[in-house]
Amino acid sequence: MELTTWFTDLLDGNLIFTPQTLGYYWDGLVTTSQLVFLSLLAGLVLAVPLAIGRSSRHRWISLPIYAYTYVFRGTPLLIQLYIIYYGVVFVDGIQESIFWPLLREAFFPALIAFTLNTAAYTTEIFRGAIKATARGEIEAARAYGMSNALMMRRIVLPSAFRRALPAYGNEVIFMLHASAIASVVTLMDLTGAARFVYARFYAPFEAFLFVAAIYLCLTFAILYFFRFLEKRLLAHLRPA
Amino acid sequence: MAATPMPLEARNIKKRFGDTEVLKGLSLQAHKGDVITLIGASGSGKSTFLRCMNLLEQPDEGDLLMHGEEILFKQTRRGREPADWKQVVRMRAKLSMVFQSFNLWAHMTLLENIIEAPIHVLGKPRKEAIEQANALLERVGLTARANAYPAQMSGGQQQRGAIARALAMDPEVMLFDEPTSALDPELVGDVLKVMHGLADEGRTMVVVTHEMGFARDVSSQVIYLHQGLVEEAGPPQDVLTNPSSPRLKQFLAPKY
Amino acid sequence: MLDLQGYGPRLIEGAGVTISLALLSLILAIVLGLLTASAKMSRSWLLHKLATLYTTVIRGVPDLVLMMLLFFGGQMALNVATDALYDRFGVDWYINLNAFAAGVITIGFIFGAYMGETFRGAFLAVDGGQIEAGKAYGMSDWLVFRRIRFPLMMRHALPGLSNNWMVLLKTTALVSVIGLSDMVRVAAEASRATHEPFTFLLPVAAIYLLIASVSEWLFARLQKRYNVGFGGH
Repeated sequence: MELTTWFTDLLDGNLIFTPQTLGYYWDGLVTTSQLVFLSLLAGLVLAVPLAIGRSSRHRWISLPIYAYTYVFRGTPLLIQLYIIYYGVVFVDGIQESIFWPLLREAFFPALIAFTLNTAAYTTEIFRGAIKATARGEIEAARAYGMSNALMMRRIVLPSAFRRALPAYGNEVIFMLHASAIASVVTLMDLTGAARFVYARFYAPFEAFLFVAAIYLCLTFAILYFFRFLEKRLLAHLRPA
Repeated sequence: MAATPMPLEARNIKKRFGDTEVLKGLSLQAHKGDVITLIGASGSGKSTFLRCMNLLEQPDEGDLLMHGEEILFKQTRRGREPADWKQVVRMRAKLSMVFQSFNLWAHMTLLENIIEAPIHVLGKPRKEAIEQANALLERVGLTARANAYPAQMSGGQQQRGAIARALAMDPEVMLFDEPTSALDPELVGDVLKVMHGLADEGRTMVVVTHEMGFARDVSSQVIYLHQGLVEEAGPPQDVLTNPSSPRLKQFLAPKY
Repeated sequence: MLDLQGYGPRLIEGAGVTISLALLSLILAIVLGLLTASAKMSRSWLLHKLATLYTTVIRGVPDLVLMMLLFFGGQMALNVATDALYDRFGVDWYINLNAFAAGVITIGFIFGAYMGETFRGAFLAVDGGQIEAGKAYGMSDWLVFRRIRFPLMMRHALPGLSNNWMVLLKTTALVSVIGLSDMVRVAAEASRATHEPFTFLLPVAAIYLLIASVSEWLFARLQKRYNVGFGGH
């Protein structure tokens, strides 16, 4: 109970940071986390087969994937979001489908745009890591009678994932920051909450500095999480 | 004479890279227990020949046989390729290779390196693979390093580890591609000692090497290659002690 | 043929806004980046800490939030300042923060932090012996910087610079949110008005791709120039 009194005392007399506005920020944090986490997860799942295809020596496999990553990495996420958000109604039969109630909300178009975007970046990160696999390690796998699939699964991918970790950590932070544009299509994410508070109280510094601090904390949390992972998973690259 | 078929035979292997013909028709017969050393100057094609034997390089012409079973090839747009990769995979599992630069898998500990192919290629139970790996580690003197990663080991340790990895496949023929060339001189001895022991217990080995002492003491046959052709071949006492070709004489002459 | 329903001229204007915004922000970012890199490498404790704070905070907060903070907050700060001027000194000097200037300042300010990291890494990669050689021949600090350190550094900085520019270019799309009529905003408005999003948004996406491809080509040429004397490429 003491904590609650301390908290209400703290807020007492503060016109902007009332329990109600803090509630908006909290809901925004939840929305942002869901959006970022789900799109990263889906993007990761998509990126693994795409990166393998992108590394294929058959051009009819690798070229279309390259076209996809080139377009999605070469245009602003905001455009991609607009195209999907405004364009989704034009997909034939979508308004009759059972998914329509979901797709009508801004959350799902945003989720789709973010997923496709992060999948494109992640594909290129993984491709670079796959390409960097030491030739000798691949030869050893071949010489020991591994099939291509087995070699990919046991040798190439495990070492590529480890190598990709620092770059992927940056991608996660990039996605967290990029998710701020969800507020543009009316989503009440963290930035959406800040814009709401700004508009209501005309207090730009309070509204945006507070949300900036939250983003900063999230960024550091992600940064340290990846440092920790790198320490554990990249131990093999350090001489004793 | 219906002797048991040879573990490995190569017939008239030819290989070109672009315009240069690197192998101009090389043959080799490895009977059980043979230790064949391939010697020659760099560029003589000895490593390429070895790499053709387990198809890390595709020979443009010539046949490979394991126990009399011929590897099938077909012509494709990219050139000559094995017709049946399953056959190649099966063959490679019986021919384990030790590389010049060790090529241990960097993201696995030494023990994991050794049990990897036995479990996933040969389908050995994990427990059995680990027991065997521990015995092999003891044999190459690396029991204490079982859980070290390759980057944490010296070159000599890595190469002895790589030999243990090769042995874990219960290979019928072991291929060695200049196994001591990347090592500091003081580390060469330990590796040669391990290889010496393998020859003594009757392993079939094909070794590309610059170590003339090893070739003299251990081989049953020495093949001297020059520009993709066999210049001289035979038992070490003939080839190394009484070379007939002037080129080989010069090759064997003390460098200083 | 593509029917832009009368939005054509505005889209072209918007493309002009996007390109000039991106180029001006790039210049500002490079200047800020060089200053930041020097501050980070300076012996002054305060400068070092300030530069670190700047790069850490900027890289930890979304561009859009910084943009809104600077744009909306900046206007308010200006108002407070001009009000104070009026109250104290009777100077009536109202400044309306224009969205274009705010965009340039914000984007330049954000990418100054990224450029700072790029330049710092590049300066550190330059061989110190060659700098000493310059000094030994009696070159002034400025001359050493202009003739030796900077050209050597650029070779290492170009890949990062090129990468930052590509991200910066895409970040300009965000100014549409604070009310600047760049091509993204025009396309979004047209999409809403005509209910034909693809007609407007896809060509705009294509323009971004075009600028990116041209930049890639230019940077490849620049890289070639700065690689002179380093063999290979």
